[in-house]
Amino acid sequence: MATQVETMPRVRTPLKEQFLDWVLTTDHKKIGILYLVTAFVFFLVGGIEAMLIRVQLAGPNGKILGPDLYNQMFTMHGTTMVFLAAMPLAVGFGNYFVPLLIGARDVAFPKLNALSYWLFLSGGLFMNSSFLFGGAPDAGWFAYAPLTERAFSVGSRMDFWVLGVMLLGIATTIGSINFIVTDLQLRAPGMTISRTPIFVWANFTTSFIAVFALPALVTAIVLLLLDRQLGTHFYNVQEGGNAVLWQHLFWFFGHPEVYILILPAFGIVSEVIPVFSRKPLFGFMTVAFSSIAIGVISFTVWAHHMFSTGMSTASLYFFSADSFLIGVPTGVKVFAWLGTMWGGKLRFKTPMLFSIGFVSMFLIGGISGIHVAVVPVDWQVTDTYYVVSHLHYVLFGGMMFALFAGAYYWFPKMTGRLMDESLGKVHFWLMFIGMNLLFLPQAILGLEGMPRRVYTYPAGVGWELENLISTVGAFIVGVSILIYAVNLVQSLRKPPTAGPDPWDAFTLEWTVSSPPPDHNFAEIPTVRSRRPLWDQKYPELADWKAHR
Amino acid sequence: MNRTGLASPSSSARSTRRSDQTARVALLVTLGSETFFFGTLLAAYLYMRAGQPDWPLTHAPLARLAIPGANTLVLLASALTAYFALRSVRKGRISNLVRWLSVTLVLGLVFIGGQVFEYTSNGMQPADQAFGGVFFTLMGFHALHMVAGILVMVLALLRARLGDFTSRRHVAVQIGTWFWFYVVGVWVVLFTALYLV
Repeated sequence: MATQVETMPRVRTPLKEQFLDWVLTTDHKKIGILYLVTAFVFFLVGGIEAMLIRVQLAGPNGKILGPDLYNQMFTMHGTTMVFLAAMPLAVGFGNYFVPLLIGARDVAFPKLNALSYWLFLSGGLFMNSSFLFGGAPDAGWFAYAPLTERAFSVGSRMDFWVLGVMLLGIATTIGSINFIVTDLQLRAPGMTISRTPIFVWANFTTSFIAVFALPALVTAIVLLLLDRQLGTHFYNVQEGGNAVLWQHLFWFFGHPEVYILILPAFGIVSEVIPVFSRKPLFGFMTVAFSSIAIGVISFTVWAHHMFSTGMSTASLYFFSADSFLIGVPTGVKVFAWLGTMWGGKLRFKTPMLFSIGFVSMFLIGGISGIHVAVVPVDWQVTDTYYVVSHLHYVLFGGMMFALFAGAYYWFPKMTGRLMDESLGKVHFWLMFIGMNLLFLPQAILGLEGMPRRVYTYPAGVGWELENLISTVGAFIVGVSILIYAVNLVQSLRKPPTAGPDPWDAFTLEWTVSSPPPDHNFAEIPTVRSRRPLWDQKYPELADWKAHR
Repeated sequence: MNRTGLASPSSSARSTRRSDQTARVALLVTLGSETFFFGTLLAAYLYMRAGQPDWPLTHAPLARLAIPGANTLVLLASALTAYFALRSVRKGRISNLVRWLSVTLVLGLVFIGGQVFEYTSNGMQPADQAFGGVFFTLMGFHALHMVAGILVMVLALLRARLGDFTSRRHVAVQIGTWFWFYVVGVWVVLFTALYLV
């Protein structure tokens, strides 16, 4: 293998060649960036949809969106954020950093990797093109049948949803198989299971969950498509179908999906917190195996989304108790992060702030999740804003904070440039304050009985103040995202001075130049501990000396 | 498939072994995912059925077992011939490999033909109450997998005739055969669930 020359003369490649280079690429780093950029654009689209919802609900008897447009907005907001923003953002980081973290030159199947990206993009564009053809999907992101049957969802809106989700499901399945094989087969010599970085563990577990949970979603939507297009009767009770079947199939996918979203977030903060605490991760293997435990249990709790469908008492007890159980491995992780920070030399850089924000906000989300797993509480608050508040504390307060932690942490690796710290801190504090103003009042609204997915409410029922605060919070979050975008553009214009290891970090991705050369490693590294770069930089303090 | 392994070009035997292993792991994960797909389809069917006391309602068309029964035997025979093909290439007998792959393909095509006859002659329609949809969906997805298996085996056959395989390098035959076994196994489960239970 020829040695990489790192200082290449700067020659401007023609635009057409640059374009083709990105379209035809099979390089995991480029595909990673394609994923991240595309998903961020979809995140902005989903964000605008959310803002429109909040504007509509700012005061009673809102007139901005009619009921029809409102239904499209909350459906597309949910679908976009879950399938087109959150999942692919995590996949983007996985694509870029898993091979670097395990000391490989690429993923196991680079062409399949490109295929998954292009399928994801087509699925996203296809679904959003429905706005031009008679309106977007409007039956909620979980698209309950029989509501989505042809008799009740007329026109082609839900067909756009079904086919779009199918493309995305195929893309994710292919991508996940690729990740699993990569994680298993391509680790550098010496990288045993117990030395594999937590982000890779998270990527591996997430991929496994995706490979086994997505088939249930595909089954659900295939049956729906057949009902709608070929006149079968899977969800049609009059002809022997079943009205609850969709919910079982969807949530058998849908609950593991929550962990498909949150486990990569766990992985990111498990990389960031040790580096900014100047300590190895506390309870490393416990954190690793708690991911596996979460992954396994996540397949057995789906019916807690269905407590109000009239299940047997035994099922209610089982699914309720089982859902509490997931709190245990999750709690273990929270203690591990706190244990890592305890007695550490903390550096409050932007990635660390977002990680701490993640831990605190995710904790609120997780605990409110335990509330709604209590059957009588669920009966009271199901389909109210309490659930909306809970899921946003998990997915926005949790996942998005962790993704921003990753974005600030790894930006210098991807571009060779550090992002502006002061703008980063302004972004963090505005987003932190804004999201609490946005979602805490929604928990109160839920307890007061405000149902979700209702396009307006009358004056004088006591919901005005909370809704107004929530909308103000949404605008503060919006401003914080704009500040991030400004920071992004500004930082990209600066000269690349970050160097290979600006954070004095521990793992292999920081051993190579920023951005890394074409095939990552001129020579495949040999790993002797969990912190290979630490060993290299501080040989007298090397981890492998302490452990052996 | 372009696999970026860790080995340098000098250790090509090791890198072949490694990329063969990569392909096998990928196939196993894929089959795991497929199992969840067929599993949820089947679970959906059994769940619908459990919710209906007089399933399949007014309509009980699957009494005729002759054609699907014969088809089951054909498919089981094809699994055996696929196994012979794999054994031949392991022993380096490429002409036997070609022969057994061809027999397997013929049996697969006979099965598909029998299925098409069954779909068109048993008097069912996809829109015949809930069971019509169940029948054609389960059968249809199995048939699609049969077609995929046949395509993989055709490729293996062409490559065998071009002399691409040796007793040590034949991961494509192995993958094709494993997939074939899997699709036969799925058929046995579906046949039991739809015709016998």
